[in-house]
Amino acid sequence: MMRTIEVFLVIIIITGAFIIASFYAVLPIPRRVSPMNLKRLALTTLEVLDADYNLSATVFKPGDDQSWVRLQVALSALLPPNIVYNLTAYDVQSGSEGTIYVPYKSISNAESLGIQSEATSYMVASSNVTFRVIPEKIGERSDGGGTLYILNCSDARGWWITGYTAHSLAEDLYKLLSPYFVKTVMVQNTADFGKILNGTSLQGETLQNAVVINTFGEAVPIPAGYYASVNVGRDSNGLYSMYCYTLGQRVRQYNWTWVSIVGYPLYYVSNTGLFPDNHNTWGIYGMRSVESAGFNAFLRGLNGMSYTYDNTWITKSLSDPVYLSSEALYYCDYYGIYPAPYQTATRALPSWITSTYNLRVTTYIFNPSGGWLAGAVFRHGVSGAFLALGLTRTPDIRLTALGLLSDYKPRLFRSEFNAAGTSRLVVLQLGQVGGT
Amino acid sequence: MAGSTIDHMIAMTVFIGALLIFISLFNQTIQTAVLYQRNRAVATKCSDLLDNMLLNPGIPANWSRMESLQLEGFGLQDPEFTQYRLSPFSLMRLQSSIGEPVYYRGTNQWYSNTTMGFGDFLLVSSAKALNYSYVAKLLGINNTYGFQLSISPIVMVSIRETHAGNPLTLTISVTGKGFPLSNSVVSYCFFTVVEKGDQSSPSYNVKFGTVYTDNTGVAVLNFEDVGATKSYALIVYAHLSGLVGVGYHQRVSADKRYVIPLVESFEDKRVILAHSYDVHYFGPPESAVFFNATFVLLSEDFTLREMPMENSTGKIGKVNYGKGEKFEYANITIPTYNPGILVVTYQSNNEYGVILMPWGISAMAFPVVFGEDPSGKEWVATDIRQVLVGNVAYQVKLALWSLEGYGVMG
Repeated sequence: MMRTIEVFLVIIIITGAFIIASFYAVLPIPRRVSPMNLKRLALTTLEVLDADYNLSATVFKPGDDQSWVRLQVALSALLPPNIVYNLTAYDVQSGSEGTIYVPYKSISNAESLGIQSEATSYMVASSNVTFRVIPEKIGERSDGGGTLYILNCSDARGWWITGYTAHSLAEDLYKLLSPYFVKTVMVQNTADFGKILNGTSLQGETLQNAVVINTFGEAVPIPAGYYASVNVGRDSNGLYSMYCYTLGQRVRQYNWTWVSIVGYPLYYVSNTGLFPDNHNTWGIYGMRSVESAGFNAFLRGLNGMSYTYDNTWITKSLSDPVYLSSEALYYCDYYGIYPAPYQTATRALPSWITSTYNLRVTTYIFNPSGGWLAGAVFRHGVSGAFLALGLTRTPDIRLTALGLLSDYKPRLFRSEFNAAGTSRLVVLQLGQVGGT
Repeated sequence: MAGSTIDHMIAMTVFIGALLIFISLFNQTIQTAVLYQRNRAVATKCSDLLDNMLLNPGIPANWSRMESLQLEGFGLQDPEFTQYRLSPFSLMRLQSSIGEPVYYRGTNQWYSNTTMGFGDFLLVSSAKALNYSYVAKLLGINNTYGFQLSISPIVMVSIRETHAGNPLTLTISVTGKGFPLSNSVVSYCFFTVVEKGDQSSPSYNVKFGTVYTDNTGVAVLNFEDVGATKSYALIVYAHLSGLVGVGYHQRVSADKRYVIPLVESFEDKRVILAHSYDVHYFGPPESAVFFNATFVLLSEDFTLREMPMENSTGKIGKVNYGKGEKFEYANITIPTYNPGILVVTYQSNNEYGVILMPWGISAMAFPVVFGEDPSGKEWVATDIRQVLVGNVAYQVKLALWSLEGYGVMG
C-alpha cells in the first residue's frame, strides 16, 4: 500500500511540475511567430514619401503648413488599414554636450500604438543646405611650394600609356589633384618645360618644392637647344642619359618631387621636333631610347654624384600581384579615390637604391615584395624626391594621385552634416491593431 | 508477502501509466515549441528573401533589357537606383501567374498575360519572360521553399463614365491602401479618335490638363463636344506628397476587330500588332484593322507628354486577318527605354477604338503576381515592403512556405 501511495505522490509532483511548466512556458501568439517586419515597412514607407524629396521639404515647413496635412493623407494612404503610426520630426541641434534632438512636430492616427511597435529613423537635410569639402592646399603648412606641374607637352610622345594620350592623362590629373595645390600649371610644350628647368616660373608660381608629374609614361619630354646640348642633354658619346642626370640635378636643386606614372622611369627621351627621324625601336617616332641608363643617371644626379654611363637594368618583374599598403587603403577612403587594390608590377624598383643613393621611403603605395618596391615615394636625404610606379601598362592615374596625396596628406575640411537647422530626424513608429 | 507484491505491481503499473501520460504531455509542448521555431525560421527567411529580391538588380544588372535570359542572379532592383526602387522592365519579364497565357499562331509562340481587361493589354513573349522554377533555382530555394510574389500599386485610380456624351463626364476616384487621397493633383491625357472613314488609319486628338481631387479623393472631368458614340481613352496620373498612382479608361465602338500588341523584343524595343482574330482564332476571314500609334510618358513634373513616333517606327499601318498559314502583323519600335504607354487608335469597318499597352509595368500601374498559389499550404509566412517602380508607389508582398514539411530549419 505504501508503494501505491508513494507513486501517487510522485504523480502529484510531476503533475505539479507540468502545470508550473505549462504556466510559465507560454507560447507566443501566432502574430509573433510570423511577424510583419514593421521596421522595414516603416523605412520603405519613409523612402517612398521622400522619393521626390517631398518629405524633406515638408519637415522643414511650419507646423501649421498645409503640406503636413498632405503628408498625413499620403501616410494614411500608404499604410494598410490595420497599421497605426506615429511620425515625429525632430530638430537636430548641436550643443556643447553633443547633438540634441528636439521634437518639432508629430502626426499620428491613433492614441496608442498597442503593446508592440517598431520604429525607424530617417535623417533628412534641408534643401537649402550645401555640403562642402574644402581641401587644404599642399604647401600651405610648409615653407613655400604648393605648385603642381603637369607635363602636357604637345611636341613630345609617350610610351606605355597605351589607350590614353598624355593630354587626356594630364586633364584627368588636373581634375583629381588641382584642388589640393596652390597653383597647377599645365606645361604645354617642351620649351616651357625648359623654362622651368632653368628656374623661370611660367605663371608666377613658386618653383621651389613643386611636384612635377610626367604623363608620358616611360618617356620624358626633352627641350631642344640648351637641354639637348653636350654635357647637359647628351654626353660626349651622344647618349641622352645625360639629360636624365641633369633632371636629377634639377629635382635636387629645386626640391621637386618627380612623378613617374608607369613602367621604367626615364627610359626614353622625346621631342618630335628634335628627333623627327628617330623612333623608340617600337615605331614611335619623335623619341630616342636611353634605356635603363636614364634612371641610373637620374639617381646619380639626385644624389649629387658625378655622371657616369651605367646601363644596368635594376627593376624586376614580379610574378605575384602587389597589394595596396594599409596606409594607401586608408587614404583611398579619406580622399575617395578607389583604384583596384592589387596590380601587376613589371618594373618594381629594388630597395637597395635607398642606401646607395641616400634615399628614404616616405610612403609605400604598395606593400614591399621581397625587397622590391612596386610603388613608393622616395625622398632624398638632402633635397628632392621621386614617386615611381613600376606597374605594367596601362597607367591608372588614380594611383598617382593616391600616392601623392598619401605622401603630402592634405587635410579635408568638411562642413558639419548635423549643423543646427539644416537637418531633421524623422521617426516613424508603426504598430499593428486587430487580430492575433 | 503477497500483499506487498500486489502493492508493488499496482504501484508499478500506475507509475508506468502516469509516466507515459506525462511523456506524451511534455512531448506535445515540446513539439509545439519546435514547430514555433521552424515557422519562425520560415518567417525570417521570407523577410530575407524579399530584401534579396528587391535590393539587387540581378546578374547581369541590365538583364531586363537583354534578349537572352541567361541569368546568374535574380533581382528586381532598378540598376540605375539604390534602395527599394524596382525596374519597371524587370517586372514586365516575370511570367504572370494569374493571366491565362495566350497563343499567337503568327509567331508560333505563347505570351505571358498580364492584361487588365479589354483594351489594356500586356502580353510578353513567354520565351522572353522568367518562369517560376528558373527564378526559384536562381534564388537557391528550389525544392526547399515555395513562394508567391505580388506587386500591387498603392494608389488606386478608378475612372467611371457618369455621362456618356455632350458633355462626356468622367469621375475619377483616387484612394490609397487605407485612405482616400484628398487634394491630390491629377494630371490627365485625353485621346479622342478622329474618324477618317473606311480603308484608312484613324488619327487622334490629345488634350492634357490638371485637376485636383476633393476631400473624398474624387475629381470630375467634363469634355464638351464628345458624343456618346465617340471612342476615347483617358490616362491619369494622381500624385500627392511623393505618392503617385495611375488610372486609365477607354470606350470603343469596335470590340471584335482590333489590334493586340505583343511584346516581342526588349533589346530592340519591338512590339508587334496582331489582328485580334488571329489571336483569338475565330472562324471566317474578317476585315483588316487600320491603326495609328503614339507613345505617352510621364515627365518629371508629373505631367503627361506625348512622344511622337517616327513613321519609320511603323506607327501607321494595317493588319489583315491571317488566311491558312499566312499571318500578317505589324512591327512597332518603341522610341525609348523610359516607361510610358503605347496608345494605338484603330479602325475596322468604320468602327473605332483605342488600345493601351504599358511599356514598363509602372506606366499603367499594372499589378504583377508571380509564383505559385499559396492557398492550401501548411504554413505561409508573408512580409511586405513599400517600393517605387518608375516613380509609382507599389506594395510588394512575398508569401513563402516550406516544401520540406517540418524538416526545414531555415
